[in-house]
Amino acid sequence: MGDLLTLVAKRLGYGLLTLLVVSILIFFAVELLPGDTAQAILGQSATPDTVAALREELGLNQPAYIRYFDWLFGAIRGDLGVSAIPPHQPVISVIGPRFTHTLFLAAYAAVIAVPVAISLGVIVALLRNTVFDRVANVLTLTSISSPEFFLGYILILIFAVKIPIFPALATVPTDVSFGELLYRTFLPALTLVLVVTAHMMRMTRAAIINLLASPYIEMARLKGVPPWKVIVKHALPNAWAPIINVVALNLAYLVTGVVLVEVVFVYPGVGQLLVDAVSKRNFPVVQAVSLIFAATFILLNLAADVGSILTNPRLRHPK
Amino acid sequence: MSTFVIGFYTILIAASAGLAYFKQDRWFMMIFSLTLISFITGIIGGAQALRSIAIFVALLAAAAGVSYTFKEFLIRIASPNVAKELRTAPLTAAFGMFVIFTYAIAGIFAPIIAPFGEAEVISSAFAPADANMLLGADQLGRDIFSRIIFGARNSVGIALMATMLAFISGALAGLLAAVKGGWFDQLMGRLADVIMSIPSLIFSLLMLSIFGTNMTVIVIVVAIIYSPRVFRLTRAVAGNIVVMDYVEAAKLRGEGDWYLVRREILPNSTAPLVAEFGLEFCFVFLLIAGLSFLGLGIQPPTADWGSMVRENATLISFGDITPLIPAAAIALLTVAVNFVVDWMLFRSSGLKEQ
Amino acid sequence: MSKFRKSDVLLDIKDLQIQGYSNETWIDIIKGVDLTLHRGEVLGLIGESGAGKSTIGAAAMGYARDGTRISGGTIEFDGIELTTATQSEKRALRGSRIAYVAQSAAASFNPAHKIIDQHTEAPVQYRLRKRLEAQEDAMELYERLRLPNPKEIGFRYPHQVSGGQLQRAMTAMAMSCRPDLIIFDEPTTALDVTTQIEVLAAIRDIVDQFNTAAIYITHDLAVVAQMADTIKVLLRGEEVEQASTEEMLENPQEDYTKSLWAVRSFKRPQKSRPTDGTLPIISVKNVDAAYPGGDKVLDDVSFDIYPGMTVAVVGESGSGKSTVARCITGLLPPSAGEVLYNGDVLPPKYTSRTRDQLRQAQMIYQMADTALNPKVKIHEIIGRPAAFYSGLKGTALKQRVDELLDLIELDPALFYNRYPPELSGGQKQRIGIARALAAEPDFIICDEVTSALDQLVAEGILKLLDRLQKELGLAYMFITHDLATVRSIADEVVVMQYGKVVEQGPKDEMFKPPHHPYTDLLLSSVPEMDPNWLTTVLEERGVDNIGEGADV
Repeated sequence: MGDLLTLVAKRLGYGLLTLLVVSILIFFAVELLPGDTAQAILGQSATPDTVAALREELGLNQPAYIRYFDWLFGAIRGDLGVSAIPPHQPVISVIGPRFTHTLFLAAYAAVIAVPVAISLGVIVALLRNTVFDRVANVLTLTSISSPEFFLGYILILIFAVKIPIFPALATVPTDVSFGELLYRTFLPALTLVLVVTAHMMRMTRAAIINLLASPYIEMARLKGVPPWKVIVKHALPNAWAPIINVVALNLAYLVTGVVLVEVVFVYPGVGQLLVDAVSKRNFPVVQAVSLIFAATFILLNLAADVGSILTNPRLRHPK
Repeated sequence: MSTFVIGFYTILIAASAGLAYFKQDRWFMMIFSLTLISFITGIIGGAQALRSIAIFVALLAAAAGVSYTFKEFLIRIASPNVAKELRTAPLTAAFGMFVIFTYAIAGIFAPIIAPFGEAEVISSAFAPADANMLLGADQLGRDIFSRIIFGARNSVGIALMATMLAFISGALAGLLAAVKGGWFDQLMGRLADVIMSIPSLIFSLLMLSIFGTNMTVIVIVVAIIYSPRVFRLTRAVAGNIVVMDYVEAAKLRGEGDWYLVRREILPNSTAPLVAEFGLEFCFVFLLIAGLSFLGLGIQPPTADWGSMVRENATLISFGDITPLIPAAAIALLTVAVNFVVDWMLFRSSGLKEQ
Repeated sequence: MSKFRKSDVLLDIKDLQIQGYSNETWIDIIKGVDLTLHRGEVLGLIGESGAGKSTIGAAAMGYARDGTRISGGTIEFDGIELTTATQSEKRALRGSRIAYVAQSAAASFNPAHKIIDQHTEAPVQYRLRKRLEAQEDAMELYERLRLPNPKEIGFRYPHQVSGGQLQRAMTAMAMSCRPDLIIFDEPTTALDVTTQIEVLAAIRDIVDQFNTAAIYITHDLAVVAQMADTIKVLLRGEEVEQASTEEMLENPQEDYTKSLWAVRSFKRPQKSRPTDGTLPIISVKNVDAAYPGGDKVLDDVSFDIYPGMTVAVVGESGSGKSTVARCITGLLPPSAGEVLYNGDVLPPKYTSRTRDQLRQAQMIYQMADTALNPKVKIHEIIGRPAAFYSGLKGTALKQRVDELLDLIELDPALFYNRYPPELSGGQKQRIGIARALAAEPDFIICDEVTSALDQLVAEGILKLLDRLQKELGLAYMFITHDLATVRSIADEVVVMQYGKVVEQGPKDEMFKPPHHPYTDLLLSSVPEMDPNWLTTVLEERGVDNIGEGADV
């Protein structure tokens, strides 16, 4: 077990290091702004006084590395600075509720997509090279090739305009019941499900079929093991590592890739906030959101790696 | 029951019976399941639903016909070696090639094909389609059809540039890392890890917010975001070749790194690299389309599919499908490239499973 | 044949035809083979690679591998016609009445499950035994197969058990339903000789004890002579001849069979070291080496190679024999000690050696497939070293390439413009030799150059290497695990085990006892053509001693 723990610990350490490097990248990218940040935010028409005031407010008079550490330790404590746009709210209070919404939407989609994708992937692997498999191949390829806004608008057109059974805009008032919430966010969740299910399904199929050429699969067949059992008992346990990886990748995508879907459905999540902040050049918010997204992404990848280490029988049962 | 409904079912059932009789099992299963589906949708949706199914099937058949003839055409004009490969292409891949071909023509000859200029205002906002304007006008009164044709040039062109930049830098770094190994390999690998650990859309938004949204910035930023993917794949492919004895023999002969890359490794890694180029193009194309859709990509008045969707999105709530057309154009090209890549990957992976 | 009665026929294959899919068409790979097997009979199926022996083995279970199909003939197993049986009928036979033992046990056990769970899968599925009974039975079989700790070993995962033990566990698994027939598909090919002997003994005993019929597939005549009652020789998908083992060994009828027997006859006179004070061309002095981050793989290795002589470095996998070659070529700099060339110290890393130093030591590889770039034409493969070291260009270069092709007995007109994948294994190996010769070296390392080749082809390569040595005065370092090769071509022998030189000396002395125990074990483990060899060796060693030295 010692080896396994060292491996996991190493991976954790590496993940933290990556996060640190990414935070440096995010922070100092803004430093690359030509000219003065405050000036850039306020535009050419600003008076020197207002620029100076903003500089003071943003702490721009200190050297960059000090501001970086202030920002980083602040971020660890949950203080992400203040918004550059009046009324200069704390960034955390701007992001907080929206991040919950984004997480909710991502979780909603994941709960549907992950089990469906893995079981469909296994089924398609079992039915490989049949008509069903070919059709599934074309459909999934089409689904992953379509931009999210295309799928989103098609769903709106069909289920909100032509057959009006779902709302086109996913607004979430604070006082709705959970069931009502699920209903209102159904279309954006479905859009996400369509995209990630196709991808996960293809990867699950590929991971299993990849293993079907292994001698131990032939051995199982020559032992008289029925086809479904060959897949479920002999191929699947060895395919977990790639499957876990693709699931994590798609979960990460769900959290970060919702930006487009949020815009299509005018859903009040972090994605919309980010797009808004980018066009208004509200850098404290952009930095904070980027950092949160990157951290989520890194954490999920980390979880996937640890997961594949833990499901590897060679590592789990050392010599 | 109308004659249409009777004719519809007669044709389907006759076709199923014929296919079953001639033991075309695969086709029989497909046509017969279609018959069963039609029964159900016919009961629920009536003749209208059946009509939609008929149109859908007719479109599918037309696409299949076009793909088949296009494939036969390519086989006849290609050299014997290429023709042999092409014969193995499934209809989906042939369809993909046909679509790519069409887009290329549209992009190259855009000014000749398009009836109006891309920024030319010719009528009132959201004017409906007429004999002059095939798809009507957009929010500023520009011809949507012309803008879609020009979009083939702008949207695809910029994505191609970014892909090539990403591909060349990523592949070169990957090949060198595989040959050199040591600290260079480590450094490149870590760098790729860092870039890839920031979600691509977020990373590009961050960069665009800093450097502004002009064409050059978009191309460079997108290339930086996707080059690590190419790097990893090239590094893996080249890594498998570098351990071959013939590379060892060349190293022991005293050959330089550049010779190893050029003569020993590149000729043996073209197949996966070409397929990766296709995949990479899809990613880049979708990312740029997404950015444009958010209003942060290609800027007006340049005609671009992503921004066209955004500009005309309000029409959706009136049940008008016009804004979906540029979105469909994006999806169609990506699907087409993916179909071709799928076939190439299948070819290069060999016949693992019959 | 008299041993078996006609009424006892278990498997009857008639006019079997199998096709394989390649290059978009189906081509015949088995062209009408008949095979009759009686209860309790062991049939040896031998032939070179590509003879189709493994394909026939699978077909005996009614199984066609991916990319192959049974296109004609009948396969009747105990009254059941397998070519027309449904999938589920065939499946019901597999594992229960016909079992299979694969070549690589390490790859054929599922890494995700314990050995004993895989063992009990078939008997439990066929409701022959309850799970616990099946486990008890497995332990008993492990004991009969002389596996260490039979009560406990099954509860390990495959990667926790050594190759020889896994192969025996797989044989036990095949026995789990007490089948009527077992197909052994090269079960010992992947094993070292000292491990092979115990597996052979175990397989022979258990097949005897349960009177199971078996098809034993191998390319090694000496092995099949120990195992089979009857031998069938195959060549390119067709039967050459079939006879009882004694008859086949004493009196082969067909020319092809005779030539197989004759292979090991090539010998050349042994040379001895020069006495006139000539320096060794390569001298390995007290070399230690380790792979980065790994344990020491070479420990104080020293030996000399004199001009014009052949030194064979022998040992089993993991003995470090290939690592020595990497130290000499400079791919792996030694952590201590040095390599001398004509008395001068070579820089440890190949990147710091001069072009001339690189030129003088060349290498020929085991797998010609991976040793030649498949996308480069033959003339460039051979011409590049000539151009690189001697600066030849244009017609002079073309002439040199023709000369080299002549030297390796390939017609320049036919091969000049071709690509490696179009060549046969033996031809590829010859191109590899030509590439080494193009550098005009004094010394060539031959890394298992014949072990991937069929015997007749290997013989041709050995003769060619011998001729070249005479004509060009080359020194060879032969890395091999095949003692037959050592006997035919070596002047001196270096025996290695666990990264150390166990013993070294002139060949004649090395093949005469007494010796270091490991040398003895290694030499006595090499199968001989005599059908009683295995029995004799086992008696000499005593049954309890079989595993010693191999099972570590």
